[in-house]
Amino acid sequence: MNVDITGLTRRFGRTQAVAGVSLEAGAGVFGLLGPNGAGKTSLLRMMATVLPPTSGRLRLLGRDPGSYGPRREIRRRLGYLPQNLGYYPGFTAAEFVEYFALLKEMPPGEVPRAVAAAIEHVGLGDKARAKLRTLSGGMLRRAGIAQAIVNEPELLLLDEPTAGLDPEQRVAFRALLRDLGQRATVIVSTHLVEDVGAACTEVALMDAGRIVFHGTPDELTARGEGTGAAGDAPLERGYSAVLAAARSSTAVA
Amino acid sequence: MSDMDAGLPSSAPAPRATVPADVDLDRVWTGVATQVWRRDPGRVERLAGRLLRSPGLARALVVTPSLLLAWIIATVVVLFAGAGATLATGTPYVALLAPAVAAAGIAYAYGPGIDPAWELSRSMAVSDRMVLLVRALAVFGLNAALGLAASALSGAAAALTFGWLIPMTAACALALAVATVTRLAIVGVAAGVAGWMIAVLSGAAASGQLTTAVTSSALILPYLAFAACCGVVVVYATRIPKGTS
Repeated sequence: MNVDITGLTRRFGRTQAVAGVSLEAGAGVFGLLGPNGAGKTSLLRMMATVLPPTSGRLRLLGRDPGSYGPRREIRRRLGYLPQNLGYYPGFTAAEFVEYFALLKEMPPGEVPRAVAAAIEHVGLGDKARAKLRTLSGGMLRRAGIAQAIVNEPELLLLDEPTAGLDPEQRVAFRALLRDLGQRATVIVSTHLVEDVGAACTEVALMDAGRIVFHGTPDELTARGEGTGAAGDAPLERGYSAVLAAARSSTAVA
Repeated sequence: MSDMDAGLPSSAPAPRATVPADVDLDRVWTGVATQVWRRDPGRVERLAGRLLRSPGLARALVVTPSLLLAWIIATVVVLFAGAGATLATGTPYVALLAPAVAAAGIAYAYGPGIDPAWELSRSMAVSDRMVLLVRALAVFGLNAALGLAASALSGAAAALTFGWLIPMTAACALALAVATVTRLAIVGVAAGVAGWMIAVLSGAAASGQLTTAVTSSALILPYLAFAACCGVVVVYATRIPKGTS
């Protein structure tokens, strides 16, 4: 398993953002669904080794990120797209991707070709030498995705990757996700249920820092059948039904 | 061609029907793009890459001034701390504490509030602390170079440059060298701080003020309080913001 999490928690003062999450994920595209404030970003940040857990066990790519050496090795094989990805406006798209390829400690001789391949992969070829300050929001998001995949990561963590993409780009991006998921573990945090239905082989639904559902998109869809839960699509109804059930059980407890 | 925008690049190759079947056009195009978009590192970057044993750190070093707002904030704090240390010549504790102010300022300037890609940098194999050390060297080094030029015109600039910027550049370089050899930023910082303290205290000893600076019990609490404040600033400046979802 590339991701092996047991009883993971994260507190910010009195707020418990992640409350005892356990999860396993191998190759494939794993969707992390949930409303705003569910704890998805905090969980993803811990998997990205950006945020240390308050407690619990976390193993990534068979290693413990708590120690310096293994953490460095994990980071070489990791791709991460934060929710709020900042950009250096004076960099070109190619320079931006190259900068992070070098910080991922890719062999320098391989970097130019990897940068070109990543930029082509996300369809930014005609903007590779444009300054980031001149790009649209969707193009900047694609530059962010390019830096995440430049090292052909074994573990790819994407936080709201389709934010800012137009419908055509989102369709193409889902195809890219499915392709990447054949070789790597891709974990996609999103609140867009349709992204999960179209691209993910597994899905976990988070609410109030806990995982309240873990299964396939079809299983999530089945949870909504005959419940009268709100939603325009079957998967959305499953999402609403699971959330409502989780909240009512919490309220009773 | 691209997965996300098929057909978008205007320089797309000829239709597949006109090329032999065993030619992978995607591969050819990526090879062309590799050559067209390749950026050759300059001499300084190549030299830094060899010295630091890391092309990533070398790149971080040379792009430090291009993060303009962070650069300006860091420079103002460094010059402010330097002015204090220079004006308070004869009171060694100011010179001992000034690097803490400068470090806190640089950590803030290149921290999450200012550096737009800071969170992403934290997930990289090259340690963010090493990157911060490299940036501190870039801030001091470039300001020292500018200070040298200004020294020709102003005595005050010369005092600041030779009494603060150049010695601090040397201390930073020592810290980075030790960190590079040991691969641990914290060990490098300890070496840099030790080097600076030796320099300041030997100056104080030469002027007969060492006893006052080091052993006066009245100064111990202010030292500790000030160091704790700077530590809090560094920790706050490099914290991870609370998750947003």
